[in-house]
Amino acid sequence: MSAVARARKEDTSAEGSFSLALSVNGNERELLVEPHESLAEVLRNRLDLRGTKIGCNSGECGACTVVLDGSAVCSCVTLACTVPGSHVTTIEGLERDGVLDRLQEAFVEHGGFQCGFCTSGMIMSAHALLSQTKHPTEDEIRVALQGNVCRCTGYAQILQAVRAAAAGA
Amino acid sequence: MSAPKEFEVVGKRLNRLDGEGKVTGAAVYASDFTLPGMLHGKILRSPHAHARIVRIDTSAARKMPGVRAVVTGASQKLNRFGNFIKDFEVFANERVYHVGQPVAGIAADSEYAAEQALRAIEVEYAELPAVFDVMEALDKAAPLVHPDWQSLKAAPIIVREGNRCSRTVIKVGDVEEGFRNSYRVYEHVFRTSPVHAGYTEPRVAVAQWTASDQATVWCNTQLLFDTQSTLAEIFGIPPSHIRVIVPGIGGGFGGKLRLGMEHYAMALARAAKRPVRVMSSSEEELTAALFRQPATIELKTGVDRDGRILAKEGRIVVDAGACSGSGPLVASTGTMILAGPYRLPNANLEGISVYTNNHPNGSIRAPSGPMPNFATESQMDMIAEDLGLDPLELRLRNILREGDIAVNGQKMTAVGLEECLDKAATAIGWDLRKPGPNRGKGLACGWWMTSRGSSGSYLKLMQDGTLTMMVGVVEMGTGALTGAAQVVAEEMGMKLTDINVVSADSLTTPYDFGSQGSRTMFAVANASREAARDLLEKMRTRAAKALGTDEQALVMRDKAFWSDEKKITFAEIAAQANTAGGGLIAEATYIAPAVEHDASRVQNHFSPAWPSPSFHVHATDLSVDEVLGEVTINRYVVAQDVGYAINPTYLEGQLEGGAVQGVGQALSEEIIIANGHVKNGNLTDYKMPTAMDVPKIEVILVTHPSVAGPYGAKGVGEPPTIQPPAAVANAVAAACGKRIMHLPITAEKILLG
Ligand code: FES
Ligand code: FES
Repeated sequence: MSAVARARKEDTSAEGSFSLALSVNGNERELLVEPHESLAEVLRNRLDLRGTKIGCNSGECGACTVVLDGSAVCSCVTLACTVPGSHVTTIEGLERDGVLDRLQEAFVEHGGFQCGFCTSGMIMSAHALLSQTKHPTEDEIRVALQGNVCRCTGYAQILQAVRAAAAGA
Repeated sequence: MSAPKEFEVVGKRLNRLDGEGKVTGAAVYASDFTLPGMLHGKILRSPHAHARIVRIDTSAARKMPGVRAVVTGASQKLNRFGNFIKDFEVFANERVYHVGQPVAGIAADSEYAAEQALRAIEVEYAELPAVFDVMEALDKAAPLVHPDWQSLKAAPIIVREGNRCSRTVIKVGDVEEGFRNSYRVYEHVFRTSPVHAGYTEPRVAVAQWTASDQATVWCNTQLLFDTQSTLAEIFGIPPSHIRVIVPGIGGGFGGKLRLGMEHYAMALARAAKRPVRVMSSSEEELTAALFRQPATIELKTGVDRDGRILAKEGRIVVDAGACSGSGPLVASTGTMILAGPYRLPNANLEGISVYTNNHPNGSIRAPSGPMPNFATESQMDMIAEDLGLDPLELRLRNILREGDIAVNGQKMTAVGLEECLDKAATAIGWDLRKPGPNRGKGLACGWWMTSRGSSGSYLKLMQDGTLTMMVGVVEMGTGALTGAAQVVAEEMGMKLTDINVVSADSLTTPYDFGSQGSRTMFAVANASREAARDLLEKMRTRAAKALGTDEQALVMRDKAFWSDEKKITFAEIAAQANTAGGGLIAEATYIAPAVEHDASRVQNHFSPAWPSPSFHVHATDLSVDEVLGEVTINRYVVAQDVGYAINPTYLEGQLEGGAVQGVGQALSEEIIIANGHVKNGNLTDYKMPTAMDVPKIEVILVTHPSVAGPYGAKGVGEPPTIQPPAAVANAVAAACGKRIMHLPITAEKILLG
């Protein structure tokens, strides 16, 4: 038995007990999960979508933000088994045919990140905002990002990036 | 702000090299890293500030589902460690001396299983008397945090006595004489609270033993080689047997300089004979990480009628916590900040670090900056007010200028302080210091060093004519390696995107002092520039031979060497070298030149001279709500002498981020500790600034080039966190007359203070 196979067998949590069907970045997925698994864990560990980050793992930093049926949510405090049939968009789902989304472009262009650990969540919060509000005000942008902590940038270049992306829409 | 000369690549706002991966989610961080067969580790921590361990029973835990290994202090021989004093244990042996101290570790199939099993470990403690206040700890009658302190190995620079774990002194002239000649003498005491570095990615490590005495660790340390040697010391194996790799790091700010989870992952992986991942939970981050030390600062300053400082006596007392950690360094360097960037004819400045039964602390961004700066710059405003002087004018009468001798005897060069003061004051509209009721402006100035330490760089010319740069440093996000690559590209006549960066693998990349001390880009760019020049020479020699001409006759353009119409491209040179010449590589190392100082003025000082010092002024305009005591920052200006801006976008980003981090310490951030227990171990009660809280930071780049810096650049990363507490405190005093002398400046203190 290979090391991988042995690990799988010994890992008591690897085989989930709850069947879950949902759409992730436009792909229909069906998988078995444990009742205690968060959406963040399922995305990262079972679907290998590690662009969604786990920082605080308690709903307080926004690193794990994904768009769930049109709204930005903290996937670390969303139990996977509570969202069957939902549509999830993660950072990996923004690119279209190898072309970066305007938010992704704008974040690169305006220095909207340093370490980048908050960036997936930050962009997903901004994405949810721009999907609903084409031309957000400064306040609307700040409110949309208030649950996303960034320690590196001081937010100025992030706000600039979101403004630029909105203006280019 | 303009470069002395226009360059093609440096000085330009070019997009960072690691940008795309970070916006697509493709970038791999240490916390994304996994291995087949990997287990998950969790740590059992002490609930007591000081206790004897009577008994540990792990038998029930071992039988829990999914548990693969349990480790305690008794189960593996692990050596003590510590940067200045060997006072850390990996797992407690006989005693615990702070809350949160690791007592045991468990590796299991899942984090969940490990967590469940932790609860099954039985530990019996006998509580011992503890001490939490530094002043009490200094009392002869206080319980000793380390009764065996004399037998703990320490660096020669450390001077200890009981709970006092270090002492540094700077002495100039005769302070008593200075006070006697003073028109007024001011004495004040200031205090600061512990704060967290606030990096968004928790500390994490995955360890795998590849032989009985060889291991690889993937982690998010800022210092590869310090981590490597510390782990080697703990496990009693040669450093070269430990490979440290940083796949990616989600912020550090000094909070990841010292060991995080690496030693626990290694100990558990050894016991389990499987790879183990240990990641700190957010609760552990806020209750058991290495915080910025709280400090008590006593200041006595004598001035003449015109406000010129005649004598300054000061002491910073740093609460190191139960293990010295970075306490001695912080206390030592803190003496330079007590002095401030001022001319001091007489000074007696002391920095001591003290053991308490609080959690050990670390080296957060400008480790000894904000605390003494808060004290010194607050007191400057208090002096100005008493003398009826404009605080700006008081500073202008005392600041260091070109050629002045600083408190350590160092001659100051490239001093951009006056320009920073002028520009910050103008930008904030200093003429109108009280623009309205409950509204006021304040400023604070400071200085900092560009730390020394070696960097190395390997360059290799690639077959496609691009260049690979290998460096042993971690890109923390500051853009330091993009900056260094810009310098290399400029030298080589290449585009920035022609530079491929390989970094942060202790086995394959050259030694580096690490991502710390505002030195990363400074030192790596200097080393890489030197290597680039060497590589270019080698390429030129080959080109001349290939084209049958003189080296002097060659012109370099568009990644090729030209001799009249004939040319040979970099790609062709690489191809030729690879097939017939053994490839083309170059290497160089760099350490900043030592700076002269007057050794008779300093005792046991960690940084007695400051290489390429930087100067900075922050100014703010804020309002204080009369009823709620809440502070609203209307405007915030940062003027920093950066020497030269290699990439203004990322430089501004660092200054903005640093200022906001400092505003957090000024107004809202505080790890609240009572009897050694953290009371606010979550991000709701530990309040870091969000997008809702921050003003726009207006950045002014002042450029007095450093002779040693690449293109004149100075270190920039740490300074912006230094001045915010003082600038905000001074503005609050101007706005509402309340002088807050204990950080953070909360609404409660403003209303009741
Ligand atoms: S990781 Fe989900 S909010 Fe912090
Ligand atoms: S870029 Fe580092 S936390 Fe936002």
